Amino acid sequence: MAFVGQKLIKQIQTTGLKATIAQRLDDGFTRFTAGLSWNDVRGILRGDPPPKPNPRVKPHTEGFWFHIRPSFYHEAVTTLYPTFRLGFLSAVFFMFEIITGIFLMIFYTPSPTYAYQNMIDIMTNVPFGKFMRDLHRLGAEAMVIVVTLHMVRTFVTASYKKPRQFTWFTGVVLLVVTLFLSFSGYLLPWDQLAFWAVTIGTSMADAVPLIGPELNLLLRGAPDIGAGGLLRFYLLHVVLLPIIGIIFVAVHYYKVVRFGISLPPEMDPVAGEDNARKVPPEKRVPFLPDILTNELMYMAVAFAVMAVSVVTWYQGAPLEHHADPMVTPNHTVAPWYFYWLQGLLKIPHMIPLLPTPIAVEVDRFFANVLGLTPKVFWGVIVGPLMIGLLFVIPYIDPNPSRLYSKRKIMLSLGALFAAAIVYLSLAGIPTGVPVTGFGYVGGDPASEVGQEFIPDEGVGPVRRLAYKHYVVGEHKVSAEPNTGSSEFDKLIRAIHASMERRKANPDPLGQKLSPEASAVVEVKQVQDNLRYVAIKIDYTDASGRNTRFVKETYLHELSGYAGGH
Amino acid sequence: MSIIKKIITFRPSFTLRILTGLISVLIMLSVCTVVAISDQSGALNRRATNFNARSVEVGAKVYSLQCARCHGLNGEGIEGLGPSLAAESFVGRRKLVIGTDGLATYQTEAPSKRLQQIGWTESLENYIIAVTQAGIPIRSSNVWEVNHPAFLEDFGGPLRRDQIRDVTAFIVNWSLNPLSDDQAILPPAPGEGQAPRPTPVPLTEAQEAGKQVYLQAGCTACHAIRGVGTQGALGPSLNRIYTVAQERIADEKYKQAAQAAGQPVATTPEEYIRQSILYPNAYVVPQCPQGACVAGLMPQNYAQTIKPEDLDKLVDYLSALR
Repeated sequence: MAFVGQKLIKQIQTTGLKATIAQRLDDGFTRFTAGLSWNDVRGILRGDPPPKPNPRVKPHTEGFWFHIRPSFYHEAVTTLYPTFRLGFLSAVFFMFEIITGIFLMIFYTPSPTYAYQNMIDIMTNVPFGKFMRDLHRLGAEAMVIVVTLHMVRTFVTASYKKPRQFTWFTGVVLLVVTLFLSFSGYLLPWDQLAFWAVTIGTSMADAVPLIGPELNLLLRGAPDIGAGGLLRFYLLHVVLLPIIGIIFVAVHYYKVVRFGISLPPEMDPVAGEDNARKVPPEKRVPFLPDILTNELMYMAVAFAVMAVSVVTWYQGAPLEHHADPMVTPNHTVAPWYFYWLQGLLKIPHMIPLLPTPIAVEVDRFFANVLGLTPKVFWGVIVGPLMIGLLFVIPYIDPNPSRLYSKRKIMLSLGALFAAAIVYLSLAGIPTGVPVTGFGYVGGDPASEVGQEFIPDEGVGPVRRLAYKHYVVGEHKVSAEPNTGSSEFDKLIRAIHASMERRKANPDPLGQKLSPEASAVVEVKQVQDNLRYVAIKIDYTDASGRNTRFVKETYLHELSGYAGGH
Repeated sequence: MSIIKKIITFRPSFTLRILTGLISVLIMLSVCTVVAISDQSGALNRRATNFNARSVEVGAKVYSLQCARCHGLNGEGIEGLGPSLAAESFVGRRKLVIGTDGLATYQTEAPSKRLQQIGWTESLENYIIAVTQAGIPIRSSNVWEVNHPAFLEDFGGPLRRDQIRDVTAFIVNWSLNPLSDDQAILPPAPGEGQAPRPTPVPLTEAQEAGKQVYLQAGCTACHAIRGVGTQGALGPSLNRIYTVAQERIADEKYKQAAQAAGQPVATTPEEYIRQSILYPNAYVVPQCPQGACVAGLMPQNYAQTIKPEDLDKLVDYLSALR
């Protein structure tokens, strides 16, 4: 009579208990690895050459996880150059963001009533909460950098050329997905920084010709960002964009495997001929174990670098004041990877560099005939067109050769594009481009002194100086302050130096602080552990009136700004 | 160039890969351990303390914009407008203690007497949040000119929930060093206290006409009379001006001030009221809703702008407020 354990008993009877257990365990192990026995894995770990027939290709044919991975790479792409592992690292960071993101999701409610308090709770009540938040934020920025570098490298080594045009195309989709993922996550803390950066971003959608207001309404869910906008950005961030990302990663990687990782350009010397799939047996580097261990190493190093960064040099993901639609902070900026777009928005005329009267006439012409203003043209049309240009590079580049020496024009154009992005990015920040001053935005110099020392958002020198150093009273700002506290004196000297600098040097708009301007720092005790600090500047404004500018803040003994955010 | 070539053609050996990977994993795990230990041994609480302190900072700003107008810049209260929020009988007395776990918490040394009086059993914080959010829709006492309005935006007010939390944190922080009750404007206990409101008496026809003068001559911009619906908060309230005038004419300080100003000393309350309208600087009362009264703030030209017969009616009306 047959029963379930009959075979097992028979095996024990013939080979003994110990051997049976070993055999059964190995059997399970082999199923788990989709074809590799324990001895095969030991061989891999010892670095033995593969036996014949090679069992190490089995996971590629039998198993799910490795079926999309090639069973060998060309030796020439396993060195640091030409890939620098940037594509792999992009995927690693995508995964990294999913892991840390799911952690944060558990403690987050996408509602203006709770979001900000959730952020505080994550940092003050959830073990690993601040750590995960910082990792997620730093990982997002690292991902933007890695993905961009991956694109730069693909451009430089001409890996976008035939047959990889569509691979490049999906890659640019992934770059855009990365940027929007990062940008949509920006709003979720619901602080001033988030609220205004995203208000600016979506107001660009508002300026799109023809469909602008509808697009804006679709994004914000209301004329202004509120509960509807937050929920939409949340869903974009955790559902739609990750799904698009995963789909395009799959397509992108399928194409990579299909055509092989492109060899260094010098190994494709004949224009139009791709040798990536022609790998002579002696040039094959097996996936198991070489590529896999390589990748695990890079992944471990990337994670370790992130973890160490967060607890050492990284300032921490910022959390400014609660979002307030009524109060626009000074010097609101987009996230750094959109500085270039903000720089584009600052171009004053349709055709810059023309003499002003002619440029104004040209602007008037466009405004009357096409209804286009410079802001709409540069920010909403040219900006997206620059991304659009990236999409079509492989289809418009007529040169089939991958050799550096034969791509001088394209490489120069690429360098020019990169230089333009850098220049525009500099113009995008409030201080503008050094030397030319293009892109500088600033109020009158007195308010800039206030902004420098007590910024609307962020910490700044006044908040950074601990409560205990302040001396109650009115203190004149001079080069030789004598408040009785050396740290406070240092702060007052810094304010004095900033004022003197603004008296001597005009800002890029030609404004100077009036020479007789004077200031006091007032410190009042409000409560037992709360002080009021104000910088009061008396000066003559541009229209010749005597004006007093006051910038104030409250400072609590325990607010702990000294440690960063 | 050869060093660059070395770097870009670098291919780590198998051992190096395993070793680097293991070391990286170990580093990552030790960072996690450090974070776990630090979070559990006070880092979370220290951050909580920082955020609570920043909440007080934000609350101070909200208070100065929204609350100070009625409750006083330093929470001392304003006669006729709002009670003191910094008084010990309201916020009690507390100590801020930073525990060994890094968390700063208040320790109550004296609880709020006011909340005991009115029978509030929840915390002081919740009382402040409740009143600030929803206001006091009915009169809990009849001392103040206006009911406490609702400040939460859901109820039509100007503030969000987080701002009300912040301003609550700021008000509660006064308990570290509260005002003594004699420095503060306090509400009378429920069922006690004289509400300074006019004793209702039927007005004569002339007094009714005087009321119209009061409403039209500009008095309402600065003075309040309960029941007439005016809320001027610059000059003293005229709720019971006749009674006040009776006390005033017996006051030595008044007599000296009037003589010093070259004015006759009023002997009847009516005379005092008339003098206060025509010659406001004859005697400047010490306490106005926004602080000490200022000489010269009240216009001194009513002798020219109010007709004599209207003035008689006005004085007649004000004399009815007892």
